[in-house]
Amino acid sequence: MFIFTLRRFNLFFFTMLLLTILSFSLSFLFPGEQLVNLTGQINATPEQLAVLANEYQHQAGFITQYFSYVSHLFHGDMGYSMASHLPVATEILNRLPATIELTSVALLVAMFVGIPIGFFAAIYHRKTPDNIILGVAMIGYSVPVFWLGILAILVFSIQLGWLPSAGQISLLFEIEHVTGLQLIDILLSDSPYKWQAFIDATRHLILPVIVVALAPATIFMRLARTAMLEVLETHYIKAAKAKGLTFWQIIYRHAMRNAFIKVIRDVGLQFANLVTIAMVTEVIFSWPGIGRWLIESIYQRDYTAIQGGLIVLSTFIFIVHIIIDFVYAALNPLAREPRHGA
Amino acid sequence: MSYSKFSYFLSLIVFSTLFGCDTNETLLLSEKSIIYCSEGAPESFNPQLVTSGTTIDATSNQLYNRLIEFDPNDNSIIPAIAKSWHVTRDGKMVTFYLRKDVNFHQTAYFIPTRALNADDVLFSFNRMLDPENEYHEVSGGKYPFFQNAQLDDLIESVEKINDHTVRFKLSQPDSSFLANIGGNSAVILSKEYSEHLIELNAMQEIDMFPIGTGPFKFKQYSSGAFIRFEPHSKYWQEQSQLKQLVYDITPRDTGRLTKLLAGECDVIAYPIAHEKIKQHPGLALESVTSFNVGYFGFNTTKPPFDNPLVRKAISYAINKQAILETVYTGQADIANGLIPSSSWAYDDTIESQEYSISKAQSLLAQAGYPDGFVMDLWAMPVQRAYNPDAVTMAKLIQADLQKISIKVDIVSDYEWSTFLRKISEGEHQSVLLGWSADHPDPDNFFSTLLSCVSSVTGSNRTFWCNQDFDQLIQSALQTDNINSRKALYSKALKLINEEVPLIPIAHSKRYQARAHSVNGKLLRSIGGIDFNGVTKN
Amino acid sequence: MARDKIYQEEEFPTPLMQLWHNFKQPPVVVIGFGCFLFLIVLAILSSLITPYSPIENHLNDLLLPPAWSNDGNVSFLLGTDNLGRDMLSRLIHGTSLTFGLSIIVVMASLIIGVIIGSLAALTKGVKSSFLNHFLDVILSIPSLLLAIVIVAILGPGLENTLWAIIMVLIPQFVHITRNAVKEEFTKDYVLASRLDGANSFRILRYSVFPNIIEKLISQATLAQSAAILDIAALGFLGLGAPIPMPEWGAMLANGIDLFYIAPWTVYLPGLAILFSVIATNLVGEGMRHALKVRKEN
Repeated sequence: MFIFTLRRFNLFFFTMLLLTILSFSLSFLFPGEQLVNLTGQINATPEQLAVLANEYQHQAGFITQYFSYVSHLFHGDMGYSMASHLPVATEILNRLPATIELTSVALLVAMFVGIPIGFFAAIYHRKTPDNIILGVAMIGYSVPVFWLGILAILVFSIQLGWLPSAGQISLLFEIEHVTGLQLIDILLSDSPYKWQAFIDATRHLILPVIVVALAPATIFMRLARTAMLEVLETHYIKAAKAKGLTFWQIIYRHAMRNAFIKVIRDVGLQFANLVTIAMVTEVIFSWPGIGRWLIESIYQRDYTAIQGGLIVLSTFIFIVHIIIDFVYAALNPLAREPRHGA
Repeated sequence: MSYSKFSYFLSLIVFSTLFGCDTNETLLLSEKSIIYCSEGAPESFNPQLVTSGTTIDATSNQLYNRLIEFDPNDNSIIPAIAKSWHVTRDGKMVTFYLRKDVNFHQTAYFIPTRALNADDVLFSFNRMLDPENEYHEVSGGKYPFFQNAQLDDLIESVEKINDHTVRFKLSQPDSSFLANIGGNSAVILSKEYSEHLIELNAMQEIDMFPIGTGPFKFKQYSSGAFIRFEPHSKYWQEQSQLKQLVYDITPRDTGRLTKLLAGECDVIAYPIAHEKIKQHPGLALESVTSFNVGYFGFNTTKPPFDNPLVRKAISYAINKQAILETVYTGQADIANGLIPSSSWAYDDTIESQEYSISKAQSLLAQAGYPDGFVMDLWAMPVQRAYNPDAVTMAKLIQADLQKISIKVDIVSDYEWSTFLRKISEGEHQSVLLGWSADHPDPDNFFSTLLSCVSSVTGSNRTFWCNQDFDQLIQSALQTDNINSRKALYSKALKLINEEVPLIPIAHSKRYQARAHSVNGKLLRSIGGIDFNGVTKN
Repeated sequence: MARDKIYQEEEFPTPLMQLWHNFKQPPVVVIGFGCFLFLIVLAILSSLITPYSPIENHLNDLLLPPAWSNDGNVSFLLGTDNLGRDMLSRLIHGTSLTFGLSIIVVMASLIIGVIIGSLAALTKGVKSSFLNHFLDVILSIPSLLLAIVIVAILGPGLENTLWAIIMVLIPQFVHITRNAVKEEFTKDYVLASRLDGANSFRILRYSVFPNIIEKLISQATLAQSAAILDIAALGFLGLGAPIPMPEWGAMLANGIDLFYIAPWTVYLPGLAILFSVIATNLVGEGMRHALKVRKEN
């Protein structure tokens, strides 16, 4: 397990190195002055710029400049947003939790809905339920997410009037920003309308989560189906059959757990895809997350914000990726001690 | 958690959220609060600094009061902070007697120790008028409404007579002065708060964390997202029944309508798809004719438009009804004269110019152009309430004038500021423009658009300078008898219809949609929206 | 009548021929393939077969609903939008933009990706491991975010989004080429031609590529459905094709403002995107199925 952890740490370090290099080089690639792109100080006087140039070691070589950029990052300094003139780090801290909330709930929903359905399809391999599930899955990951979001609003918010169409919570509730995760903040708050606010926030969460989760869920369906089919072909299942266990006993006791482990391995890879979908969904549902903020930053040519957002969002995805790797390793001894497997 | 337990839990959440909204608690909060979906973020919380409608909507009537205000029904001047006022016989001195029970907002960032008095009024006006005032330069030092109305020239001084009496000395009599003092931008700020901020060395906060006397006080502003107001518990008039007033800033037209249909907003600004709202049983659509005019103006210094006959001929050839339907999609009234029907100076005996091709042709022949001519028509390149689509309007006019053999070249490629500069230099032959009034006094239309003075310095883009007309509007300003003013303006309107320096096309309406649960008058023809006295059930 | 076989020698169909044979078995795949070909034909002939120009305004026929509704007009089969532009013509022109361009984008990134991937497969050691990590990092950034960043550098516009999507799609082709080539290089037939004295390039050209091409095509169909969705998404967000262009995503964005008065301006472009992505996915699905069947035999 130590080697496993060390290896992940190593990977994380390398990834961060590459990401920061990428983000640093963006400040050169974006139109305009590099130092201004990096710091976001568009209204700075020449004197202020000189101070900044000194701070970021602008006269030195690229490597030194890069290191001073990274040291600023380490101190939580990502410069100032060109549009709002607030520190990018503050802006991100205000918005990232909303995205974390949306994506993690969506990921869980996608897994808990997609994987069982996939297993179900595998059990009825090449029978009607399997074909129906495959057909639905095909449509599910072919639907353009922005269109799906609009249709969902039309049906569930307007025709049926069940669920709200925009935002994270009704503006009437004043919830103090503690963790930024709305549901947790509500539980922490001492508002007299706590329970009401909690219900309201959950209602706001449902539609965006369904829209974000649909495509990943269909992918998990297919992954789970394939995994289950592979497991059902293995020798230990045949052995279990020979022992005289019933089909459902085999599925529950042996097949499900092993197939599940196989699916978990790929969940991390799907997370980047899920975040992409979430970015567009945030725009449609006016979700106050980092994806919507990043897209607005493009409209406003807020290059400092784009750099900061890119780093933070990619790091977030990568951390989730690593967490899922650890979950996989915890579930599967073969992964953490390769010599048993190979 | 096992799978079945999880699904049980999940369905529990789904059911409780879908049907849980009927609990008594919900009734408490949303029943007593209004969410207004506005079309944009305010630029400032001080309407002295900005004239944009969005900022006025968010601040003027909610946070502040003026010395005098306009009656929402007939736009006549009524007392507000000043319980009465007196104008001297020569019209050069105006004295206001202030109420003694007007309290400023008590908020998390400021606790007032005294009620409003003459010092506050002096501070509010001197901030704009007096370059020496320490707040004059805070937030840019530009006070567009006051400077546009030339009040800085008109007002010689503001004096404190005693704690509750102030006197304005004017350089000349001006009967639109009172209307200007009741305008959206002439709000009263707190002198005590300004001193408090000087102590804290945070002077710019006066326009970001506002303190006023209005029915609502500022609670929270999340930049570009929402504004939260609370009722002012010591408001000098009847206190609002609402618990909260929230402006949900929703720039997308479809987004606002979606929120209204989904019940997330109670009131929305500038709705689209009017038919859809009218068909909806729970929603109401309302409108008010705004104090604006969209017009087709001629450069009266350039031939052939220096000839009134040509201008008159063209006025017969314009099909205003078609323009109203296509350009304004019916959301406007046809302009019979320069001023809208909601103004007291409106004269319903003046009828809209009739549409008659034959009359147009004969007038044109009389003027010496039986075979027509070629003209250019400048169409403004931006959308405004008074003219939502000038280019389409220009195309319709082009087709109309084709019928009397006038060929029209449309000019609309310039960027807005360049466009304005070029027409102020008189490069155009004719132009499609408009005007939104700052206050309901009719003078705001006449003097601004057609007086000789404004053809030199102001916004008279027809460069029409008629001594009779100027005489009429000058005398109207020098009397404060409303009937004689009305008679003078009526003559002026007739003169415009004879001379046709411009053809008024339409007065557009401002629309708004609300849920039936919201009661009370919201829209005003001047000064935007007002939530004072609005209730919800 | 079947042709008699004169020679007794066994025919060895090429891998692609075998693929086609297995591919055309399930009927749903054939339907998908038919739709795919139909879209290609539409994309090529778009300007010839449309009744109107996609930007022509019919000011007398604003916001006409599709012909089957009561207020519809047969001369505008799918209705018109707020400027009186014929929806059918716009959708067909959109085929050549959204769908047609996605094919070009995928081909471009396929070629670049294969070249880089083959070179990468032939290198070893630190360089190779660096590339591997680099690709992992790039693949962990959401594709749309990466495209957005590239658009931010290049500036909005259809052409720039195409470049952005090409760049975003390259890593997956590099990845799959590199792995496939490495796998093939361990096989005996490669060793055999190496013993014959062939150099690496020759082996790639004549031995390896014919054997990995089907993997690449199958990856390309995946990439294409992603490309269609990305082009449309960027168009929808206003970063890609400008609004007047009949690109499906941009059409949808334009339709949103008319949603409550003319819902077909939202439904139709969305359906077009869905249809083309499903057709592409069906082709890819059939391809992967065929590959699997062939492997099993």
